[in-house]
Amino acid sequence: MIDIRELTKVYGGVDAVRDVTFTAVPGRVTGLLGLNGSGKSTTLRILLGLSRATRGAALVNGRRYRELKHPLREVGAVLEQGLSHPGQTGHAHLVTQALLSGASRRRVNDLLAYVGLAADAHKRTGDYSLGMRQRLAVATALLGEPSVLVLDEPANGLDPSGMAWLRGLLREHAAAGGTVLISSHLLGELELMVDDVVIIAGGRVRVAAPLAQLSGAARLRVRGGDHRLLSEAYGRYGATVTADGGVLLVSGLTPEQAGDIALYVQVPVYELVAEMQHLEDIFLNVAEAQ
Amino acid sequence: MIAVLRSELYRSLTVRSSWVSLTGFALVAALTGWFSEDFWSLFAGLGAFGLAVMLTAQHYQHRTAVLVFLGQPHRLRALAAQCVVAIVLGLLLAAVSGIPIVLMGSAAQYSSTLTVVPLIAVFGVANATIVRRPLWLLAGYLGWVLFVEGLFGRLQEPLPFTSFLFASAGRTEFVLALLAWTAAALPPAAWCIRRDLTSA
Repeated sequence: MIDIRELTKVYGGVDAVRDVTFTAVPGRVTGLLGLNGSGKSTTLRILLGLSRATRGAALVNGRRYRELKHPLREVGAVLEQGLSHPGQTGHAHLVTQALLSGASRRRVNDLLAYVGLAADAHKRTGDYSLGMRQRLAVATALLGEPSVLVLDEPANGLDPSGMAWLRGLLREHAAAGGTVLISSHLLGELELMVDDVVIIAGGRVRVAAPLAQLSGAARLRVRGGDHRLLSEAYGRYGATVTADGGVLLVSGLTPEQAGDIALYVQVPVYELVAEMQHLEDIFLNVAEAQ
Repeated sequence: MIAVLRSELYRSLTVRSSWVSLTGFALVAALTGWFSEDFWSLFAGLGAFGLAVMLTAQHYQHRTAVLVFLGQPHRLRALAAQCVVAIVLGLLLAAVSGIPIVLMGSAAQYSSTLTVVPLIAVFGVANATIVRRPLWLLAGYLGWVLFVEGLFGRLQEPLPFTSFLFASAGRTEFVLALLAWTAAALPPAAWCIRRDLTSA
């Protein structure tokens, strides 16, 4: 579990992040969203002990990163688009990290195969593509079999199959009870893998809620046999109804309620669509509100 | 600490530029040893210093310091491990490259050089931790040795590399001077290694 409490970081009198508070819980994938310079990376760096907070706390499983006895066995991190020495081979890089985390050589070979780099294991990482470096970074993060994964823009450079692979991996990790905190600007991709959303803007948390809750507060698109009768009926149940061409846009009702009301007033319904708000819309609404 | 040490040693020996440098420095030191035992000491010391600078500063240059600090968040322990690695590789360089001068009968110079190589290696690690950029540091020290220690100090003053040179010849006062330089470099290094690692 990740617990960020009133985290503040001041650089030269400017707040990089201020009173940032949110949690990322086991069994769920939490997406950390924000524009460039919004404070996402600063938050992740403080969480991982790479920067010091001016105030507040960033805890992993109830402790600060530097207090973890075996940090690489509790937290796996993907940062800065794949960190490795360009003169080292992928295999040597992973063995170096395995020695640091206490993982076995066998785990190194298994992970190289798992991330699809077995054939390129003895190439220098300086010759790797961005996507290969990201896969190596994911393998590095998984070495210690940590329960918590922290990933900063891990999808950068991955092709569509790589993204699908990463999505499956993270969903699998969360399903097994792990905690995943991921930041990305690929909102369409993120929408497919996150359960909870934290939107940070101007160094402050603007929204922290389950994605289902944020996107579920959407309107219904209804096309029926008698729009006047339907509008009046929905209105009586407290909904807001507007007409848009040949359809009604209904807010304040669930699809079930809208269907039941139509049945009650004996108006046939030809189309009933819940227009979910996409993550991009949610993010842009929040960003534009700043 | 042992895990960082093993990891750092493995990293150093599997990065091609590191062992090429190690071999290169050792060859230069060994070749110059045929001409003079003092030359061997100087190049063994410069090699140990240069190697220490490269190994340490490369972590900041390629951002792998992030990986080290994720594995060992207590950064003073990471610094200690880097010092030990630099000492081990510096001693390896000096021990192997100095075999010709032992064969030529300069065993005393060989052993006194090996005694002070750890100090110049730790001095290199401390400097690289402070400056974090290997080229700036090596170029800066080249100028320092040529102009400050050579031209102005005439290689007689107890400055770092002059101290190493005389300490390797067994002069105790210069051993103490080098010890003082190394000890003076460590507190700022200990402070600098705790600095935030910001994004690349």
